[in-house]
Amino acid sequence: MSGKDLDAIFEEVQKPARYLGREINVVRKDPSRVKTRLALVFPDLYEVGMSHLGLKILYGLANQREDVYAERFFAPAGDLEKLLRQRGIYLFSLETHTPLQSFNLVGFTLQYELSYTTILKMLSLGGVPLQTAQRKEEDSFVLGGGPLALNPEPLAPFFDFFVLGDGEDVLPEILNKYASWKKGAGSREAFLLDLAGIPGIYVPSFYEPLYDGEKFNGVKCLKAAAPLPVKKRVVNDLENTFYPESFIVPYMDVVHDRAILEIFRGCSQGCRFCQAGYIYRPVRERSVAKLKGQARAIIRQTGWDEISLSSLSSSDYSQIEELIAGLQQEFAGRHVRLSLPSLRADPFSLHLADKVQEKRAGGVTFAPEAGSQRLRDVINKGITEKEILAAAEQAFITGRSHIKLYFMLGLPTETEEDLWELVRLVEKISALRQLAGKRRHSLRIVVSASTFVPKPHTPFQWEPQLKMAEVKSRQQFLREQLRKIKGVQFTWPAAEMSFLEAVFSRGDRRLAAVLEKAVALGSRLEAWSDRFDFALWEEAFAGEKVDPCFYAYYKPALDDPLPWDHLSSGVANKYLQKEYEKAYRAEVTPDCRREGCQGCGLQNCPLKQVKKNVPL
Amino acid sequence: MYPYRLCFCKEGALRYISHLDLQRTFGRALRRTDIPVAYSRGFNPQPRLRFALPLALGVEGKNEYLDLDLSAPLQENIIKETLNAQLPAGLRVKNVSAVESSQPSLSSLVQAALYVVDLSVCPADLSRGLNSLLQAQELFVERRGKKGTRKIDIRPFIHRLEIRKQEKGEALLMLLAAGSRGSARPQEVLALLPARGFKDKIYRADLFVFRAGELETPGGVSVERYVEVFYGKENCD
Ligand code: SF4
Repeated sequence: MSGKDLDAIFEEVQKPARYLGREINVVRKDPSRVKTRLALVFPDLYEVGMSHLGLKILYGLANQREDVYAERFFAPAGDLEKLLRQRGIYLFSLETHTPLQSFNLVGFTLQYELSYTTILKMLSLGGVPLQTAQRKEEDSFVLGGGPLALNPEPLAPFFDFFVLGDGEDVLPEILNKYASWKKGAGSREAFLLDLAGIPGIYVPSFYEPLYDGEKFNGVKCLKAAAPLPVKKRVVNDLENTFYPESFIVPYMDVVHDRAILEIFRGCSQGCRFCQAGYIYRPVRERSVAKLKGQARAIIRQTGWDEISLSSLSSSDYSQIEELIAGLQQEFAGRHVRLSLPSLRADPFSLHLADKVQEKRAGGVTFAPEAGSQRLRDVINKGITEKEILAAAEQAFITGRSHIKLYFMLGLPTETEEDLWELVRLVEKISALRQLAGKRRHSLRIVVSASTFVPKPHTPFQWEPQLKMAEVKSRQQFLREQLRKIKGVQFTWPAAEMSFLEAVFSRGDRRLAAVLEKAVALGSRLEAWSDRFDFALWEEAFAGEKVDPCFYAYYKPALDDPLPWDHLSSGVANKYLQKEYEKAYRAEVTPDCRREGCQGCGLQNCPLKQVKKNVPL
Repeated sequence: MYPYRLCFCKEGALRYISHLDLQRTFGRALRRTDIPVAYSRGFNPQPRLRFALPLALGVEGKNEYLDLDLSAPLQENIIKETLNAQLPAGLRVKNVSAVESSQPSLSSLVQAALYVVDLSVCPADLSRGLNSLLQAQELFVERRGKKGTRKIDIRPFIHRLEIRKQEKGEALLMLLAAGSRGSARPQEVLALLPARGFKDKIYRADLFVFRAGELETPGGVSVERYVEVFYGKENCD
């Protein structure tokens, strides 16, 4: 694209900073001097995608190589999309403003189901043929990674291959294979066959799903080279694996505009609804010394004034107090704030939060997930009401302005009594506001109740979502009850959005046609509630004669084949079944880092040796 | 506290970052250096930076100003060079000078700004349009604000409008009142003129303050002399 065309675009769009690609620490290379051009695509707006750690890791890692140039793509906002169409311009990269179709490898991150239509939209705006079957020798290879790659079946016809597990472990091997394939100029299939031999690579066209009427009935392997199952890849040595230090610093305000320090990966709590808790096993930590060094380098190279400690549950980092003290010492007097997201709802976590926030004016967020102890036991959320109340009490005494409470609605076995318990819990927390003295009138409690979405590779993969009408009536119930409590504000996402998530979460390849249809009807950026259009989806399902309710509500038997059985997270199916049965008995499974290995089936787990009752 | 006044330009792709983005960019660039920046007090301490006058998105600035407080004195050229090493292409500090700490900051002093539109060809009806604007007693434009649309007379805020020869072709100069005492925006004036296609070629050449009854740049060049000598030679690169 000429500089003039580009300027014309920048003049006309509302936020040109989204597309400039001239940020601090952006990697500049001469594209004609590299062998492989890699597009790293986040299927959402710049401000969302630039907050994502995985993208930054892969960008830094790939660009370390001289033979590769990795560039970024984000979903265009509505105004840019219109201009691209009107002017016949292809969706372009941020770094060199090159069309997507000119990239050898086009990698999407698969973070949420509602981004699927945006992915298809971006491929078509970028001039890449939508279906793998339509792609010719010179066309890009389209790949996907991230959590949803562990059940990417609804996307199967559009992707040449998927990467299961930790991408930084697999990407160098893909790039090597690509370089040698390009030199030999073999067929597309030859490259894919070669890739299929890399652990963690899933080439969907090498597997054919079988159906028995409506019922999914397993897959057939079409190539001898295609492994069954495909196993997730794991970075074993997180301490010494690549981690970026010169993060790109956005000009515009993005969702998380700060340094990210990944303190550990994985989580050993074993909440039964949580996909991340299963697919990112085992827990791997970085040392305090390593993290301090990384923090110093990142701040030096970015100039950010905030560091966020990233993990699935910050308070579970084994040396969290030492780390916080160490970072505070490192940045003393330099005006660098620390933030601790993903805190457990217990007094220890609040104690940590108080440590990093000298002025405690802000709020804290807790996720009890369920209102009653019985239901918390069902989902294995290891937190008691006593702990929640103690944490809330401390929060109000120490001067917090608000508490956010995250719950999930429609969890397996949930009854009206559980919802009443939720209301009573909020009432008890509200009553604690008086501890804050005069300030109590301005204290807010924000209650948010999302709808349970059953996820593959969790014990609840065999559970249907609660029927939409019932979801709405429970939302209504909570709305009415919570309205009566002083200082409480209640928010909930649209039931229709959660319904669609459930449809695609446990979906199979028959849903691909629906995605294409929805894009044709105009679906885009549906993860933004203001753009979500359920009527459009109803039309797309009807048009393709696919019943979405089948997917959201099916309840397979424990030994039925599931559409993602050929993809392995490393956790044994037997273990998930056991956890499922324990859930129905409201029986908890302890944290394997505290109480010893629970036998989840993971091979080469470094934690298996952990003795019982060793304090963390 | 040791205040310094920085003159910088904002050009090229960087004209598409907002004023807020610009503030963040300077704050972070400073943090990547060892310059002893003074911070504000309070819950969320920020580097003490005061920009003279926000620049609209998409408009280049050839001579923009900001006042920066340091907690210890530092040589001007060291500030300039250290900071320039950290600024992205398109942002560049041109000059740094220490100012008296008793001096009010520039943002409270700026009274006018000179906008320039490069004209590759000068449409004949443009000069006629200029004359009729200058002869008008009042010029009402609609301005959207927080409380809905208001009509305001921008005629008193147009100090000067003229076409000048420059190295390449001609230029339309607009000296417009700026700051808190009332202002006219360049786009408002252009909208009243009978020519199109200005949008991508506009830039702000400099800012002016009143000293002894006369408008001059913060560096002390009178507006008369400024226009005569012409900013064109003072370009960034
Ligand atoms: S193998 Fe044992 S220790 Fe390792 S994650 Fe599974 S349950 Fe925990």
